Amino acid sequence: MKMKKTDIGVVAFMYAVCAFFYVYSFDLSESSKSYPLFTITLLFGLTTLYLVQMILAAKKFGVESGADTVFEGFRPKQFLLAVVLTAVYVVLINALGFFTATTLFMIASFVYLKVPVLHSVIALVAMDLLIYLAFVLFLGVRLPAGILI
Amino acid sequence: MLDTLQLMGQGFISALSFINLLAMIGGVALGIVIGCLPGLSAAMGVALMLPLTFTMPADTGLIVLGAIYCGAIFGGSISAILIHTPGTPASAATAIEGYQMTLNGQAGKALATACWSSFWGGLLSCISLYFFAPLLAQLALKFMSAEKFWLGIFGLTIIAGVSSKSIVKGLMSGALGLIISTIGLDPIDGTKRFMFGQAFLAEGVNTTCALIGLFSMSQVFILAEQEIKKRARAAKFSDKIMLTKEERKKIRPTIIRSWIMGNIIGILPGAGASIACFMGYNSAKQFSKHKEEFGHGAIEGVAGSEAANNAVTGGSLIPMLTLGIPGESVTAVLMGGLIIQGLAPGPELFTKHAAMTYTFFAGFVLVQFFMLAIGTLGCRGFAQISRLSDAILIPCVTVLCVIGSYAIHKNMSDVIVMLIFGVLGYLMRKFDLNTAAVVLALILGPISEKGLRGALRVSDGDIGCLFQSPVSWVLIILSIVGIFSPFLMEKFEKKVSGGEVLEE
Repeated sequence: MKMKKTDIGVVAFMYAVCAFFYVYSFDLSESSKSYPLFTITLLFGLTTLYLVQMILAAKKFGVESGADTVFEGFRPKQFLLAVVLTAVYVVLINALGFFTATTLFMIASFVYLKVPVLHSVIALVAMDLLIYLAFVLFLGVRLPAGILI
Repeated sequence: MLDTLQLMGQGFISALSFINLLAMIGGVALGIVIGCLPGLSAAMGVALMLPLTFTMPADTGLIVLGAIYCGAIFGGSISAILIHTPGTPASAATAIEGYQMTLNGQAGKALATACWSSFWGGLLSCISLYFFAPLLAQLALKFMSAEKFWLGIFGLTIIAGVSSKSIVKGLMSGALGLIISTIGLDPIDGTKRFMFGQAFLAEGVNTTCALIGLFSMSQVFILAEQEIKKRARAAKFSDKIMLTKEERKKIRPTIIRSWIMGNIIGILPGAGASIACFMGYNSAKQFSKHKEEFGHGAIEGVAGSEAANNAVTGGSLIPMLTLGIPGESVTAVLMGGLIIQGLAPGPELFTKHAAMTYTFFAGFVLVQFFMLAIGTLGCRGFAQISRLSDAILIPCVTVLCVIGSYAIHKNMSDVIVMLIFGVLGYLMRKFDLNTAAVVLALILGPISEKGLRGALRVSDGDIGCLFQSPVSWVLIILSIVGIFSPFLMEKFEKKVSGGEVLEE
């Protein structure tokens, strides 16, 4: 099997995690850092093993991008909008209150994803009702009310 | 023996309480809905519903999760039969004959076969749950600190290999999870570790948030990056969802064979329902007196696949409940549910918490009856739900992820943690890393650490104490076998699916 260039990112990420936790382990006492160091060493060793496997695969079979399989059918605009909408939604919960933010988030998502109006209304009412019955009434969760209420 | 029978009886009495019956009906219905939606998986459904079980008594909470699990495995067959799209990988083999039956105008019969076979597969799997679980729990009583450490390592090596295309990548995922599990207060001396000044991290990364993020939120991102496809219209059918006496007799041997196979596969860590369905299907074909019907809508094909995948459910609970080794993603999430209730897998579930455990077992038996009833009566309605567009699912599941993680401690920090794990889970899935291994490492990490440091403390730091008992050696050997299990599983999968590699 050919080496995938995309796996370089995986290896870099794992080494970065090792380095990050290793640096932060300096402040810990000897007994307290023994187990974290064991886990860091384990991840470091396995990542290095994977790197060796990658190099051997590159020498033997060559190198391929790998991006075509990772990003097959990827729709960047739709994906980014979903991520941004989710982030804005989470930020707005405290400001506008849970139900207002949820309603706005769902309407925005349905409009962008071109969901028919009737389906959108049914889904919106069903979700709000489900959250109210299951979380507010049944679990007694006090949801953020926001500044509008 | 008498005690066990008494506990079993008491379990059924408790399971028949109004709240538990309601939990079974709700759980099964929800599970079927999740299962028949092609974008959602059983593990994701169970993870998403975990927060709802917080305030429930432990037995009721576990019954809900068990009911969702069983319902989802069966639910996958509805879309497999009616729109030729398996709701979950566990129903991939059902689509082969099930959809042919639909094309032949026998959709009702195919659904009835799936219901009937799933019911018997699930029900018979409870026998092994009752029989083997207490026996294995007795063995776990012998585990001291060193053995607990090795047990954690064994669990990780097994799950790390599951559904990973590369063994090393699977193990890397597990090691990453182990590092994350060290965040929070030191379990031995209470020192703050990797908390970055955030007080909410004192108890470590919340497992439920991680579960919701890794399994549910990551799925939202996966759905959001792809083109929103219009699903095929579910086939309309007029025949009754019913089997004749002759048909039930015809599929009986197939169900029994599939039950045995599915049950063994369930008990084996690393294998799962997606393998079992192909094994059940293949054996049905092999032993059938009407081989010519296969490929054209064979009732035995549907029965073989569905009985096998549902027989996995009971079996897969055995290593999880007794040793704390979940063999696949769904049981890893279920184990999270157990721990959230303050219960640790192992012998205590059969001694101190025996009443709760046997109520759960009884609930698991009764769930099969509800699955049969709800599945048979509600097939037509569930078929319509299976067409629900991803465009509706994306915002709805996002909202459920947010509210689910918020409900844990009623603060937004948990939502942020869930989102971080959602992004991590998405990237891990894109780059063939294993999210289930991270979850298991988060659960097993603290147990392994306590075991390792406890053993070293008793032996004054002598590492040789980890290799002294025969049980430790058995676990070490099993761990080594666990590391190489993906090789065996890959060969096994290719053999049973005829070269088609299955993905969980």
